[in-house]
Amino acid sequence: MSRFAGRSALRPAGRTHRLGQPRQARVDAGPLDGRPRTVDGRAIDAVRESWLVEDRWWSGSPIRRRYWEIVTTCGRNLVVFHDLRGGEWFVQR
Amino acid sequence: MGRITRRTCVRTVIVCVLLPRFELTIASGDREELLRTPAALAPEPGGEARVGEASPAAEALGVRAGTPLGEALARCPSLTLVPPDPAGVADRWERLLVRLESIGAAVEPERPGLACFAARGLLRLHGGSLERVLTAARHALRQPSRFGAGPSRFCALAAASHARIRRPVVVAGGEAEAAAYLAGLPVGLLRGRHETASLPKSLERLGIATLGELAALPRAAVADRFGAQGLLAHELARGRDGTLAPRQPPECLAEEIELPEALSGVQLDRALQLLVDRLLARRERRGRTLRTVVLSAALVEGGTWRDRVPFREALADPQRMLLALAQRLALLPAPAERLRLAVERFGPLASDQRSLLDEAVAVRRSRLREAVQQARAAAGPDAALRVLAVELDSRVPERRAVLTPFE
Repeated sequence: MSRFAGRSALRPAGRTHRLGQPRQARVDAGPLDGRPRTVDGRAIDAVRESWLVEDRWWSGSPIRRRYWEIVTTCGRNLVVFHDLRGGEWFVQR
Repeated sequence: MGRITRRTCVRTVIVCVLLPRFELTIASGDREELLRTPAALAPEPGGEARVGEASPAAEALGVRAGTPLGEALARCPSLTLVPPDPAGVADRWERLLVRLESIGAAVEPERPGLACFAARGLLRLHGGSLERVLTAARHALRQPSRFGAGPSRFCALAAASHARIRRPVVVAGGEAEAAAYLAGLPVGLLRGRHETASLPKSLERLGIATLGELAALPRAAVADRFGAQGLLAHELARGRDGTLAPRQPPECLAEEIELPEALSGVQLDRALQLLVDRLLARRERRGRTLRTVVLSAALVEGGTWRDRVPFREALADPQRMLLALAQRLALLPAPAERLRLAVERFGPLASDQRSLLDEAVAVRRSRLREAVQQARAAAGPDAALRVLAVELDSRVPERRAVLTPFE
């Protein structure tokens, strides 16, 4: 199989891409309240909001996430979440 | 060999500066006699009904910071409640931090009245000894304060708690010496760290009176009973602690307005508008956007109110700033007689961009179509996409919208 055949099989024309796909992140969170302190090595200036999302609990792949809207010291406004099932952290904006 | 020996001798020395009852002292202002009677900071408006810092006389009657208001009044019916002054505390504390930084210290403020800095980098600046560093810090502060020094932050805090004005306590050595010094001290010292502030009560109830007794407990047993909080306390009692995280000294840019009569509602919004315009017009801003501002007010009925507002994105647009700040101003607990707006953090330079709308619509569409064609020719069909809303109300962000090919 040629390289190009393989590539076109991976990226078919007209495929839809979801917006806001979570990207894995390195987060250092507080041991007590779980508040993120650094995200990918950047210190956090403020936590603007936090909320819990529990969805698709009726399906085989339920979602349990603790979201944090934060502002880093370099001024970036980020939304990160802690996957409460897998224990990993993700950036979503 | 000599070099190795010298390196091992260089130890971390953390200096802790402690100003006991700092918030109460500032809120009392020139009414110093209040501190000699049972007095405590009143709960903050809109906050939990618990008293703040208490005077020694109130503490002798069992009233401590964090005691529920009802219990405090029941324990001490003659307790005087002092309205809190968060704006005054922040101003005064900032001035003291700047004074400490003026001797070259990289300061980590823990809370108003408590700050730490590493002394190692300052030794050569101030004559080569720790005593001279402490003297320089004391002179810079120009305010009676307690100094402690030790190999860890917590050890330095413990030393400062037992120091007297002009007589600092220095714990020399490393982790082992710190643990030995802490061993005889009461577990109540853990109240000095906000992460472990609630532990001493439970520890005392279990008969663990000193930090040495806590350090002697098996780590697994402490983790089992107290969780992460207990593990941190266990580490602190063994003379270990996290590294310092010094702050970046902020630029001071503020505007203040005296209100001729106590204002609220629309008039207060106008005053806020004026403050925003003045702040944006300041030359020191040098065209930068504002990332975080602090809005504070002196209240008619005494005390102050303070709110820190980080914007969602750095702003230099007065209308958008007003939209964000007016919502916070609505939380003001009482009419204000003075309003202040200060910049805490700047954003990048504001830039003017040409609007696409200046172009004629037809020309723009034609250029867009041409651009899409060229992009697709170079990078394939996924080069130009459009957003398609799928589940706008979904609570899971990645389900709300997808990208589909443009046209």
